[in-house]
Amino acid sequence: MHLTAERLDRIQPSLTIAIATKARHMIAEGKNVISLSQGEPDFETPRNIKDAAIRAIEAGDTKYTDVAGTPALRKAVAQKFKRDSGIEYKPEEVIISTGGKQVIFNAMLATLNAGDEVIIPSPCWVSYPDIVSLADGKPVLVPCEQNHGFKLRAEALEQAITPKTKWFMLNNPCNPTGAAYSAEELRPICDVLLRHPDVWIFTDDIYEKLAYDGFKPATIVQVEPRLRDRTVTMNGCSKAYAMTGWRLGFAGAPVALIKAMDKLQSQSTSNTNSIAQAAAVEALTGPQESIEAMRKVFEQRRNLVVDMLNRAPGIHCHKPEGAFYVYPSIHGCIGKTSRGGKSIADDESFVLALLEETGVAAVHGGAFCYPGHFRIAYANATEELRDACTRIQQFCEGLH
Amino acid sequence: MPTFSERLGRVQVAASVQMTIRARELRAQGVDIIQLTIGEPNFDSPRHAIEAAHQAALAGQTKYPPQDGIPALKQAIQRKFKRDNGLDYALDEICVTNGGKQAIFNALMATVNPGDESVIPVPSWSAYALMTKICDGEPVFVNCPQNNGFKPRVDDIDAAITPRTKWLILNNPNNPTGACCSAAELRSIADVMLKHPHVWIMSDDMYEHLVFDGFKHATIVQVAPELRDRTVTISGASKAYAMTGWRIGYAGGPKSLIRAMVNMQGQATAGVSTVGQAAAAAALDGPQDGVAEQIIAYRNRRDMAVEMLNACRGINCHKPEGAFYVFPNVAGCIGKTTEGGRRLETDQDVCMALLEEAHVATVHGAAYGMSPYLRVSTATDDASLAEGCRRIARFCAGLH
Repeated sequence: MHLTAERLDRIQPSLTIAIATKARHMIAEGKNVISLSQGEPDFETPRNIKDAAIRAIEAGDTKYTDVAGTPALRKAVAQKFKRDSGIEYKPEEVIISTGGKQVIFNAMLATLNAGDEVIIPSPCWVSYPDIVSLADGKPVLVPCEQNHGFKLRAEALEQAITPKTKWFMLNNPCNPTGAAYSAEELRPICDVLLRHPDVWIFTDDIYEKLAYDGFKPATIVQVEPRLRDRTVTMNGCSKAYAMTGWRLGFAGAPVALIKAMDKLQSQSTSNTNSIAQAAAVEALTGPQESIEAMRKVFEQRRNLVVDMLNRAPGIHCHKPEGAFYVYPSIHGCIGKTSRGGKSIADDESFVLALLEETGVAAVHGGAFCYPGHFRIAYANATEELRDACTRIQQFCEGLH
Repeated sequence: MPTFSERLGRVQVAASVQMTIRARELRAQGVDIIQLTIGEPNFDSPRHAIEAAHQAALAGQTKYPPQDGIPALKQAIQRKFKRDNGLDYALDEICVTNGGKQAIFNALMATVNPGDESVIPVPSWSAYALMTKICDGEPVFVNCPQNNGFKPRVDDIDAAITPRTKWLILNNPNNPTGACCSAAELRSIADVMLKHPHVWIMSDDMYEHLVFDGFKHATIVQVAPELRDRTVTISGASKAYAMTGWRIGYAGGPKSLIRAMVNMQGQATAGVSTVGQAAAAAALDGPQDGVAEQIIAYRNRRDMAVEMLNACRGINCHKPEGAFYVFPNVAGCIGKTTEGGRRLETDQDVCMALLEEAHVATVHGAAYGMSPYLRVSTATDDASLAEGCRRIARFCAGLH
């Protein structure tokens, strides 16, 4: 018997697993490996948040909650949207999910019929096209060039929209490029969307707090309130509060879509972990100083990494506005051979050779639907990043 | 306005959730409601599980967990399967999920193609049929009549299987009836399944610890190891350890299926909240006396509820082997009129009249695929349960 359903066969096995497995083996062999492949802050969850979780456990908050989240957290999320973006969501226009990923999954399953199209600017987090495919939809990738800061052009969006378009998805700031959009930059995109009233809009703002040099990422509903009735504004605690393992994401959206997502979630997982929900209330309503401290460190690291990578021959690294990634081009390395005799045919062979010969683990651009680049997450200690970038420089210097 | 998916139209909010919401609304209006709808233990999570969650949060176990579960919990599950069920699962034959619900969802999403059939003995938890429909499959119901103790007859299972059958879903002990098949009864089901090698078997054993009067719980792979390669055995921490809010379920099965389920989960939610996993590991490995105390409490409540309900005019209540539900037959109430002047045509009418006139919230049998019945949850304190039964008795006495 054939084991898996056709829908599962549509998902690519993760291209990053080969690299991660290889890195793990090298570590087991005692090699000095620096992993720059994880999309996870290296900071600790702030103490006040941990303490709130512990208080919740002690108070017996260990029972089922409403599927869409506790009233306290839905209210805190509504306040967060108001405070940070000036958007008014009522608590019933908010849903709490097991990670931001589940919000995407719920939204796609709730809306996509077979053949419906979802416009995704690329480079992109591979989960977007994978989740769309799982829900019987068709991902439509719109490339965003480095020379445009990896940002979507409004004309390219307009051209990609067809009568089958169901969603437009935006990740702002973006994984893997770090590109972020200001209010001015979102304006022309909103104008295009206003002309297409049958398209839902999904904005994944999970890296919102991580922007540098005074840049302010905006969000679509803030820029164009008339799009409010068909937009999902997604965010979460993972990146802003170093809470990846707690699995807590949320979204604001029109009530009809919240109800639809609630229905699906009630059948797939029910409520999000009750303790994590209590921790999230504290994260969103408690002291916010930890964010700024973390942001400053990330900004220094970004500057360091961009600077050092641009001194590696064959590499060109754009300096992005946000997130904790850079997405350097390796066009100048393609076609060369490494010191260890490996031929660099593409981004995948580049990262494999880099790992084997220098112990630096990164992710190749193909994993983000945009080859010719690789992704570095600078969520490591600064000295480790300096060491890794030196190794990359040496690796590139050895190419011939 | 953009639209929703056809898939969403197949999903309804569970009747138990609807009744819980209705009861909560009435309570908010100041009506004194006895709540017998919820499948949630009224006990506290075990102390050692709570301590383990504290330690995990403070020790910084707040990062992305592996998608299949943290090693410590997988090892504890491995020991649990061995200790409680006599099953040997390797670590790569085990996965951790956001509640038992997600284990079911993952398995069905990973395997069901359009038109594939799930054979579901009814009465059953509505989620099995709804999830099958979300996955484009067709539920096929097998009646388990009261005069067979609400258990399936093997000939009926045999007759329900077609070339399109993908799954047989067993829930043992059963929600909503509390019925539990013995090892001998499972053996005869297994014999039928051996004739149908194309069918997967799901054994949802979430209530496995809650069996009474010396009844021995068994699971199908235990009595028929021949079926191991096509069976997924599901359980979780919610019911045995009063940990509903923590959202911890798990599954053991053949490696290929577990891998497909983990892939599926990787797209839906990724891993499970780390503090919940740490707590569950402690619950599985720690002292089990809390479970024994709960069994006694639930047995006493079952005995009380069965006795009090059987004393009601028009009600006949079977005494089940396990879980925390009883499933009284209300055929003797149908066709009568309440004191408030409502005519009772269906079990839903009985359920609504009970709520509105007697202020007792239950769920109607039709929601579980068999009429005319009510599901009464005994997961509430003794006094409330007794008062609920007294109100039902007065309600029945007033029927004419």
